[in-house]
Amino acid sequence: MTNHQHILTLAVLLGAVGLWLMLPRGGARGRAVGTVLGIVALGLWFSQFHGLGQWTADGMFFVLAAIAVVAAVGAVTSRNPVYCAIWFGLSLLGTAGLLLLAGAQFIAVATVLVYAGAILVMFLFVLMVAQPEGKASCDQMSWEAGVSAAAGIAMVGVLSVAIGGILAPSCPAMPPIAPPTQEELAAGVLDPHQVARLGDELFGRRLIAVEVAGTLLLAALVGAAVIVNQFSGRRHDGQQKTV
Amino acid sequence: MHPEIALLNDFLLVGAALFGVGLIGFVSRRNMIVMFLSVEIMLQGVSLSLAAWGRFHNDFGGQTLVLFIIAVAACEAAIALALILTLFHRRCSLDIAAWHFLREANQPPFRDVPLPEEPAERREPWPRLPPAGVRPETFGEKDKYRPRV
Repeated sequence: MTNHQHILTLAVLLGAVGLWLMLPRGGARGRAVGTVLGIVALGLWFSQFHGLGQWTADGMFFVLAAIAVVAAVGAVTSRNPVYCAIWFGLSLLGTAGLLLLAGAQFIAVATVLVYAGAILVMFLFVLMVAQPEGKASCDQMSWEAGVSAAAGIAMVGVLSVAIGGILAPSCPAMPPIAPPTQEELAAGVLDPHQVARLGDELFGRRLIAVEVAGTLLLAALVGAAVIVNQFSGRRHDGQQKTV
Repeated sequence: MHPEIALLNDFLLVGAALFGVGLIGFVSRRNMIVMFLSVEIMLQGVSLSLAAWGRFHNDFGGQTLVLFIIAVAACEAAIALALILTLFHRRCSLDIAAWHFLREANQPPFRDVPLPEEPAERREPWPRLPPAGVRPETFGEKDKYRPRV
């Protein structure tokens, strides 16, 4: 094993233990210790990154990646579901920033608009309707916190090794694709008129897919209305509620 | 290492981390809304990977796929939240364990572990007031239905 793999293994172990301590376990203590372990694991894991070449881009990338990952962990481990939703919104902002850094401007803005603007508000709305008092007893317990944390973090570790192996210069399985040069990128996905190019692609090559997505949205709208109405209609009939 | 390959590597790693964290949340949390939020985190990880691959191949296909992911996530949110509201009306709880009777016939029933008592907050005692004024008039039985106010 190389030094690289040692560090990755250590990060996986610390991350799994940290997440196990952070997940709600019926009032058991150790959340602060878990947070510290998780931050150490994140730092070790970040040390395995290659960086983007410029220190400004590197700084932006690491700050945004830390926001996205830490906020995701916060969303998964918070006891109060309202805090889960707020952490999720922060994670979305980090992801949108990363997308912007990768040059996908329209996607970044659409993520903030659709996810943080619409979906997150809908989550909070349902939460306020269903559980306005915030905490509930089911939020204080998890299913098998240790096993799930170990499995999830081990999957991240395996994926890290696999991604690093595939993208290594010596990998025989690397697809014979030369990475794009800056000139090619400027004429392609980093075009100054990138949004116009994306729209051209969407409504040209992918027109049928766009139509199908629109039909899917309509079907979801009708489906949601039917699902909710079905229940309220049954209750007005006087049929007994199964509580 | 080529900067574009380094960028692809880093973005794929962050996407993998988001996916793994979301997976942990989906498997371990019991609140239905939090489970659903975790699925959205997993989708974010996949979106990040797709955008990075699209840049590596210098093709708009990745970004197009992310747009479709966003559209499907919106549909999914509408349907799933309607279902969650329906389930909540049946059980008056967002706890997924309230539906454990849907298990297979040969599975043992789920037994909730009782939560340890939270430390009772120290309650300020009510002030003891000296009796003052006259005793209010009561009507005996009539207090229960109050024929007049």
